[in-house]
Amino acid sequence: MSTARLKRKLGDLGIDTSSRKANENFCLIGTPLPPLEKSKDTGEFVPLWKQEVRDEKGRRRLHGAFTGGFSAGYFNTVGSKEGWTPSTFISSRSDRTTNKNRPSRPEDFMDEEDLTGMRDDQKLVDEHEQMDLLGSTQDEISKRGVGADDKDAITIALEQSLLPAPKDSVGARILKKMGWRIGQGVGPRITWRQREIAFGRNPDVPSDDIDEEAKKHLYAPRDTPLIIVERKDNFHGLGYDRGLGLHASLGVAPEASKQSNGPRLAGGFGLGALNDADDDDLDVYDHSQIRGRNHHAYDANDVHDEEHVLMSSRSQGARDLGKAAQPQRPSTGKVVFRDGKQPLNGFIISEKPVAEDLCFPIPDVPKDWTPNPKRVWEMEKANSKDKENASIPPPSQTQSHAQWKKGISANQRGAALGETPLPSAPRSIFEYISKKDQERIKNIAASRFAPPSTSDDPSPGPSLPTPPTITHTEPHVAQAALHGFQPFTTDPTKQARYTAYLHAHANPGSGTIPPAQKPGQSAEEFAKEINDYAKSAALFRPVSGAMAGRFTSAAALDLAPKIIEGLHTPAAQPEEGADSMDVAEEKPKEEVKEEAPKVHAARLGMYGVMTREVCTWQPARLLCKRFGVKEPDLDVPVDTSVPSAQTAAPEFTGAAPADEFAGASAGVPQVEGRGSGSSKRDVANIGMGEDDGQGDDVLTYERPGMDIFKAIFASDDEESDEEKDRIDDVDEVDEPPAVSAPAGPSKPAPDVKPPPSNGIVEDVDLATFKPTFIPRGSKPKDTEKKEKKSKKQKSSKGGILVSFDVDEDGGDSSLTAARQKHRDRDSERPRKKKRKDREGDGGEDMWVEKPLPDIVKALPVNLSLDEDSQVSGQETGPPRARKRAIDFM
Amino acid sequence: MAPSRGPQALARTLHKTLSNHRGPVHVVRYAKGTAKYVLSGGQDRSIRLWNPDLGTEIKKFEAHGYEVLSISVSHDNTKFASSGGDRSVFVWDVTAGVTTRRLAGHMGKVNVVELNADATVLASGSYDSTVRLWDLRAPARAPIQILEEARDAVQTLHVDATTIIAGSVDGHVRTYDLRKGELRSDFIGQPVTSAIPSSDGTTLLVSTLDSHVRLFDTTSGKLLNAFTGHNHTSYRCRACFGHEEATVVCGDEDGAVWAWDLVDATVLQPNPPPKVHDKVITWTEHHPTDPGEMVTSSADGTVKVWRHPS
Repeated sequence: MSTARLKRKLGDLGIDTSSRKANENFCLIGTPLPPLEKSKDTGEFVPLWKQEVRDEKGRRRLHGAFTGGFSAGYFNTVGSKEGWTPSTFISSRSDRTTNKNRPSRPEDFMDEEDLTGMRDDQKLVDEHEQMDLLGSTQDEISKRGVGADDKDAITIALEQSLLPAPKDSVGARILKKMGWRIGQGVGPRITWRQREIAFGRNPDVPSDDIDEEAKKHLYAPRDTPLIIVERKDNFHGLGYDRGLGLHASLGVAPEASKQSNGPRLAGGFGLGALNDADDDDLDVYDHSQIRGRNHHAYDANDVHDEEHVLMSSRSQGARDLGKAAQPQRPSTGKVVFRDGKQPLNGFIISEKPVAEDLCFPIPDVPKDWTPNPKRVWEMEKANSKDKENASIPPPSQTQSHAQWKKGISANQRGAALGETPLPSAPRSIFEYISKKDQERIKNIAASRFAPPSTSDDPSPGPSLPTPPTITHTEPHVAQAALHGFQPFTTDPTKQARYTAYLHAHANPGSGTIPPAQKPGQSAEEFAKEINDYAKSAALFRPVSGAMAGRFTSAAALDLAPKIIEGLHTPAAQPEEGADSMDVAEEKPKEEVKEEAPKVHAARLGMYGVMTREVCTWQPARLLCKRFGVKEPDLDVPVDTSVPSAQTAAPEFTGAAPADEFAGASAGVPQVEGRGSGSSKRDVANIGMGEDDGQGDDVLTYERPGMDIFKAIFASDDEESDEEKDRIDDVDEVDEPPAVSAPAGPSKPAPDVKPPPSNGIVEDVDLATFKPTFIPRGSKPKDTEKKEKKSKKQKSSKGGILVSFDVDEDGGDSSLTAARQKHRDRDSERPRKKKRKDREGDGGEDMWVEKPLPDIVKALPVNLSLDEDSQVSGQETGPPRARKRAIDFM
Repeated sequence: MAPSRGPQALARTLHKTLSNHRGPVHVVRYAKGTAKYVLSGGQDRSIRLWNPDLGTEIKKFEAHGYEVLSISVSHDNTKFASSGGDRSVFVWDVTAGVTTRRLAGHMGKVNVVELNADATVLASGSYDSTVRLWDLRAPARAPIQILEEARDAVQTLHVDATTIIAGSVDGHVRTYDLRKGELRSDFIGQPVTSAIPSSDGTTLLVSTLDSHVRLFDTTSGKLLNAFTGHNHTSYRCRACFGHEEATVVCGDEDGAVWAWDLVDATVLQPNPPPKVHDKVITWTEHHPTDPGEMVTSSADGTVKVWRHPS
């Protein structure tokens, strides 16, 4: 291959043969597409002279902020070399009279396109005006009116036909192409006789000048003058006719000349013969002269209906109509309303009274009437049966709308009348075939289809119920769909069947059977139903991933009464009833199945394993830190306690049997105290929490240390002098631990912590973190400490309890004393408090003041109890005076 | 103190009536420590600090725009948290009387708020069926964690050193155990309005809307005792332990305070108890240390302090 050789050569020359340059192809196949507009870099630099601005229509526009940018003038000129120049400001104050501050016209704001557009528009309007062929506009009429006085219609028509039309409209041009001439009417040609009638002449009257030849031709119909609705440009009321002015009545109006000259003047004084009849003087209610001008084009009815092509022109139409219609029509002038008023011009009084709307009272509905369309349907059914018998339904019977609309077909009518039915059109080709041929064809067909039928059953009827093919749903799909959206929640029966279906498919081997065919269900329906289930199982799988958490399915079934669309159908109800029976049958099963573990047990009060669900829960890391708890190791799925026990085993087994927390290092009880509450839950956990979480605990202990600091220094200042001596004690006791707190908070803690550890959970616990708040209790505490130590050394439970009891007693006595003192102080407090509040620093004192004596008194009590309970959880508790909750277990 | 045989009688003598609230009082809580003060919050959007001994109002905290439904006092009494209809939790500075934090994020009104032992974490349970855990140390205002297991409004919360107990209207009491990393949900069957564990954490007192107060064993979830007789069907009432956890106290919807013996579940005398509030008793809380003091708040707008006749 030459290319291979070439490549080798190039390689020898030291050119990378795989580079783009070496592989460049110069062959172009096909026409390259034009580059996409959008792929153009719109931000790329274009030299100034290349820059052009186009508007959204693609027209070139001026550049710049006000379309007169940098290149305005000269090239993109706005009219002058300088381009657009703003108008100079002219004060209207000095130049009031000049019209320089004329109001701005719209044209001022138009660009040339707008201006041309406007001009075009104006031109169009002009053309419209010119095109108006018969002059329906005002000026056309006036133009025509000038010459119309001495010309009759034919002259005008002649003139019009002779005069070149100024400009034909499109319609006129089309009409002309179709053979129409000006002056002719539009429409099919008419005979001479019709034409005579149309022109108002009696064709039967023989006359001399009638050319025989003329009768043989067809004529164009008479021209139809437009009915011109006069524009109302005055302020007269409707129906008012001002009649004719004196000048007009003298010659202008032809119809006016036929009648009396001039208007009827209202009778009155002061109107001389020479006086013009003014508008005011005319008899407003005189209508006699107007009659002739009324056009009642469609009023006339003639004997020669088809012969009269009715036209009405201003003059002839009136004449025509006058002849035709006058005999029937009573003159409008004479007919008046009952109250003596005449009807308006152009209206006649109807002879028939207007039919009033008949109002019928609403029929009384019987009280016990219920809507029961079934009855109607039954009637309808009966009708249809009747129709089978006698094909005409009696008209009295109710008919459906379609029936009514269709009416009776000819066949039906014929059958009803007893006619012999017409031989209907042959429907198949067999009817054309002779009987012999038909026989033959039948035989052939039989011989063709016989072999299979003989070998098989005699009747392989289609009615044999084919087992519906049950669509298969993959187990994982079904499993997922079980947790997903339940599409049939509105229909509990269907939903139950759906879930059953899913269950059956989710674990095929489990023996759960898919829903069977319902009793009343046909095989097809059942197959369709199953198909639906399969489809919805595939569709309504739960959303996966992050979206899943955002949706929750409705917890409650919608068991509201189901609304059936359409009319009330009692016929459907029996079936519904059957369905609901099914529901009733299936529902309890479902419920028992689903809720039995929990709800049933809860209802029976069997709380315990049945009502409890335990699952893993991952607390946030920060949360664990804030709570001072080691983060649970959830990698081990279920039994976290087992491995933790194992890991903790070496240390814990050493400590636990001895039951000697004091014997361990100082840190251990402290941590245990910190971890507190769960100690009673799972002993195994404690060890783990302690050992692994020591570092964490130290971290979390920083804050209590701060508290201690703060408490010490803050409260020192605020403590009142009356307790000075006690505080001194406190300081003596607590300063050393406070100082040592950063180094090792373990030291003060063991003294203080155990109380909360044993679960004075909410009320008192953290207050005890502050040793400083035990002013008076410091001494008892010391003793307590000592006692504890001695107890621990003794390591005997009874001893502990006894000592605690003693301590409790002692504490109690001191407690009451303390309380009394508190009361005394309290009485003084408010005043003091107010003072302090005013000073603005008293609040803390108010809240924190000496809570501790009581607590510390109370704490040992709890401590004893809790230790007690804790121990009794494992071993037999020592006898106690009062029963506690723990006694139940 | 020498424990007497049988539970001590409940403090039933009216000591003071604190009646400055206008409208129902939803919550009244004792301060921590010696609990010499009480805080109450009500429909009038205010929180009031009282001296129950003298019956005087000390301070009024006003910032809520809606009713106050829950209050929780910190261990050192320097701050407290409150929540209510305005869908956010307020953390207050007691002395200054202003909010130091406003924690927004709940979608519904916040029914209950609870501080943990050292007030570093705040738990809030809301009508939006979530429990949000907020960090009060870090400046961040986003919750540490959201517990979304509840299917209905969370009505009660209890936070102790290692567990968070949430009671919900969906009839579950959920115990989140931080140490074990497990969630134990106990199905009670009825909307839970209060869930309080005993101080040793072995039992749990749950009041539900079927007029029952039940005592459960926390380790197994078994029912230990059921206390009935009162009327509690539609409002949030609170059942609590009496002194020394020897009794169970609950104010009911008729305005009576019921007391039962913890062990044999008999109603302590008088039975039936007299009606002491005009309307439903919304909150009952026994003094944490004093055996003879108790406060109740009611929808009739009063907070009543009860003591033994002295």
